[in-house]
Formats: sequence, C-alpha cells, structure tokens
Amino acid sequence: MHGSEAAVTSLIFGLNPMWVAAILFALTYVVVMTEKINRAIVSLLAAGLMIILGILNQEAAIRGIDFNTIGLLIGMMVIVAITRQSGIFQFLAIWAAKKVNARPWGILVMISLVTAVTSAFLDNVTTVLLVVPVTLLITEELKVNPYPYLFAMIFSSNIGGTATLIGDPPNIMIGSATGLTFNDFAYNLSPVIFVIMAATLIPIYFIWGRQLKAAPEDRQRVMQFNEYEAITDPRLLKQCLLVIGLVVAGFVGARFLGLEAATVAMTGAALLLLLANWGRDAEHQSKHVLDAFNEVEWITIFFFVGLFIVVHGVDGTGLLKLLADKMLALTGGDLTATAMVILWSSAILSAIIDNIPFVATMIPLIKAMAPTFGGPEGLMPLWWSLSLGACLGGNGTLIGASANLVVAGFAERAGQPIRFIQYTLMAFPIMLMSIAISMFYLQWRYL
Amino acid sequence: MTARTLMNENLVALKPTDSVITAAELILQHHLRHLPVVDEKGRYLGTFGIYSMLQLTLPSAVLKQGLENIAFVKETSHDLAQRLNKRHDEPVRNWLTQDPIVYPDTPVMKVLQLILKGHTSVPVVNRETERLEGIISSWNVLETLMRERA
Repeated sequence: MHGSEAAVTSLIFGLNPMWVAAILFALTYVVVMTEKINRAIVSLLAAGLMIILGILNQEAAIRGIDFNTIGLLIGMMVIVAITRQSGIFQFLAIWAAKKVNARPWGILVMISLVTAVTSAFLDNVTTVLLVVPVTLLITEELKVNPYPYLFAMIFSSNIGGTATLIGDPPNIMIGSATGLTFNDFAYNLSPVIFVIMAATLIPIYFIWGRQLKAAPEDRQRVMQFNEYEAITDPRLLKQCLLVIGLVVAGFVGARFLGLEAATVAMTGAALLLLLANWGRDAEHQSKHVLDAFNEVEWITIFFFVGLFIVVHGVDGTGLLKLLADKMLALTGGDLTATAMVILWSSAILSAIIDNIPFVATMIPLIKAMAPTFGGPEGLMPLWWSLSLGACLGGNGTLIGASANLVVAGFAERAGQPIRFIQYTLMAFPIMLMSIAISMFYLQWRYL
Repeated sequence: MTARTLMNENLVALKPTDSVITAAELILQHHLRHLPVVDEKGRYLGTFGIYSMLQLTLPSAVLKQGLENIAFVKETSHDLAQRLNKRHDEPVRNWLTQDPIVYPDTPVMKVLQLILKGHTSVPVVNRETERLEGIISSWNVLETLMRERA
C-alpha cells in the first residue's frame, strides 16, 4: 500500500502533512480504545477528515480499501448466517460430549477441539455464540463449574482462528495484502497451532480439569441428549456443508484457479443463498436474503473501510516507512531480532488493543522492510510472526478479542461472571506460553 | 369508553417476596393466568404468571442463554417437576415479566390492542401514585361486551 500517489506536499494549516496524518491516526486509535464512540463511526470520520484535510484524495482513498478483505469477510459472514440456522453447531457440541461418555474433562477437551476447528474455518464470535449455550446446558446437567469450559473456549476459538487464512481477521488482512494463500497459512501455521492447543490444555487440566467430577446419573442425562434433534433443517444443513466444502476447496485451489479469496467467499455466499431459497416465491426470497444480509457485521465492515483509508493516508505521507526504518535501526536489520520484536510486541499489544487496526498498520510497515530483507520473499517469517502474535495475543485479556467478550456475556448471565483481573492473571501467562512456543517454532523453521 | 370501565378491581396480587409455590397455588385456586406483583405501597412491579411458572421447569441454560432449539434434551415430567421443586422457594421478584401498563383514562381501543398483541392481561395503574387499580383480561372485555348486548 505504500506509495506516492497520496502524497501531499503542501503544508496543512502550516503543519507538515505527515504530522497531521499521524495526529489523526493516533486520535483514531485512542478514541477507538476508549469505546466511548462506536468504532465504525470513529474510523469513517477519521477517513473523511484524511480526505478533507487533503492528506489523500478520494480516488487514493478508494484504492487504499482492501476490497479482497472486505469481500472475504462479507462472503463468510453470509455463509455463517445461513449455516447457523441449521443447528450444526449444537449438533457438534452434543456429539463431542457424547463421544467421551460425558466425562467432564473429556467434554472440555472435545468442546475445545470443536471450537478450535470450527473457528479455523468460520468466524470465532459465531462459533462461541452457538457452542457456549449448549456447553452451559451440559455443565448444568453435569452439575460442574462452567468457568473452565468457558475459559478453554475463549482460548480455543482464538488459537483455532490462527490456523487458517479465513480463521481470524488479521490473517485475512495479511493474506490479502501479501498474496499468501489459504494453503500457505495452513502449511506454515497449523503445525504450531496443534502444539499450542495441546500445550494450553495442560495448565487448564492442572488448575481445574483434574477436579471436574460428575455423578454417573448426571452423565447419563447428557448421554440421553439426541444430537440429531439439534439439527433443525437437514436439507439446509446438506446445502451448507456442500457450499462450505466447495468454498474450502476453492481456497485450497485458489492459486491454481487464479482466484482471489473474496471471489471464492462471495460466490460461495451467492450459491448458498440460491440453494437455500430455491423454490421460494419472490417475497419469501427477499425476506430470507435480507435476513442473511442483516446478519453481516456491518460495524466491523465499515470499521475496516475507514481504517484502510486512514492507514493508507498515513502510509502515503511516509510515516510508516519512517517507523519501519526506526524499527530496523533498533534491531540492526537482523531478521531474527525483527521477527521477535514483531511477535512479542503484537502479542502484548493485541491483548490490550484491538488487533485489527494494529495489523492494518503493521502490514505497510513490514512491507516497507522488504528491501532490507531481500524482497517480499524474505518477509515470510515476519508475516507469520505478525499473525501468531496478533491472533494469539487476543487471549491475554478479556478485551483482547471479540469472542472473549461474547463468552464473558454468557458467563455473566449464567451467574459465573469472568472477572477482568481474575481472567488476566490466568490467561496472560498462558498466552505468553503460546507466544514462547511460537518463538521456538519460528526460529526452528524460518530463522 | 376507557380502561376504567373494563377493569376488574377485585385484585389477587402477589408480594415480591412471595415464593414461586405460593404463586402456583394462587394461580390454580383462582384460575388466573397472570398475577400482578405489587410492593408494600400497592405500586405495580410486574407480573408473574402461569408462563413464568412453566419456564421454571426448564434448565437455566435455556432460560438465560437463549438456546432456541432444545428438542435434543430428553426429559420426563419427573425431571421437570424436580427442577420446579428446586426453585419453589425462590421469590417471584426474580421471575417477573414487565407488561405494558395503561392508565384508568387510557382509551379502550389501546387496551384491546395491547391484549391482542401480548396475549396477556393489562395492568391499570394510577398515573400519580403508580398504585395498581385494576387488571383487564380478555375475560373482562368479553363480559362487558356481553352485558352491553343484553
């Protein structure tokens, strides 16, 4: 995204455009962090000001929007909106619990795996939104404390999301900006994700898992759940599984087919809308299509749009190049040191601030380092460092990722609130452990 | 015609501290679906009804977490009764529903709309004191209409 197209040479109100952009950019971050104003409003307003103040013009602003990211997000959101109606998430949770004969620790492991795998392919928030209520029903029947289950689900949704291109917004953005494919992400990230998932369950076992016990008659009640009754619409389920299968195949074959991720996701969404509405009259079609579109998280989408413009504006002024040079000066232009700084700083910052604006900023910043590391190929370890840091860092605090807050909302209603400090005391060290594992992995494989 | 003409002033009301089981007995004894709950000054706090009662037989995860489809849960009437039994001491104030209220001078058309929309009884509350003055159920409306006809 770095380029001279948006550069403005004249002074704005007597100020250097780089500083005006920097102030606007910093203000966007601060206001988003305070959560006093909706983040979509903040980013769109900042984007508007970038144009009005002449830091970039409208054409440049539109070129700055990564429509591949936007299309991929919207396409997957539509697919998820339709799929969730089929009851598949509840089916998987009950099926998983019964596979381990409703043993409390076994259920925790299985539910974590279901959450991780589902989050790898679908949106993390939807996954927890649909799996948590069933899990709470199961823990209620077993008369066991739901807290460790909720804790494990937060971690597994963020860990699972890190494994693929479509699992988490930072990966979608990185993939889109660099041309890295679904296969690149799976090949480079999934091995370490398996290790991290297993390693995360160890402290959970020692803190809570070994004390989880349920009476045989309570386990019997869970064993009597009929998972097939959870499927509300078998026809729709078949259609969803077919389309998700095709979409994943499309991602896997994207490079071979010469397709971008957004094309695959949007075409998949359109196909699923067609299948799900087949045979309905025009009025019902309109209603169902509108319902699916209403499920798209427009706040996130518009937040992205505004943010892309703001970051493009800042990038055009040369500020990010300047920051990249400063960072390289700090690490002495050493690839290992740079990767480690990116990994650890993105992990710690993502635990505290929203990882979406952070990654949006880091992408042009890392791209600006290409000449130092021998071109785009040499940047690979840095992209994996950014992805692992930004996605896994979200586990560190309760506000680190959207899925965490959704789970906390459920916990509150279940009368088992997840307190910020209490969560952080347990979660932050476990998150640091996952980053340490990532560090060894990156050094072993790339550095 | 206003709400005052239709309302039933012979009230059977609950206190917020009354137990769920007391409410159940009153519901069965008077064949009333909805019982208003009032504080010590007679101010309307909410409604506890037969549907609140039936809800208490469900697992908390269904009640509080919005689990939409629970067809997969296999339970007997004994399981349901046991769950209700566990909650029988709970005060009704934990399970109140907030129905829209009307005032004695509210036009009858508005009252009818509310009854039809919510399928519930409508509490009539004094505008100044917030005290409950009466209840209008679909029965009260029908009774009034049949009297008019005669």
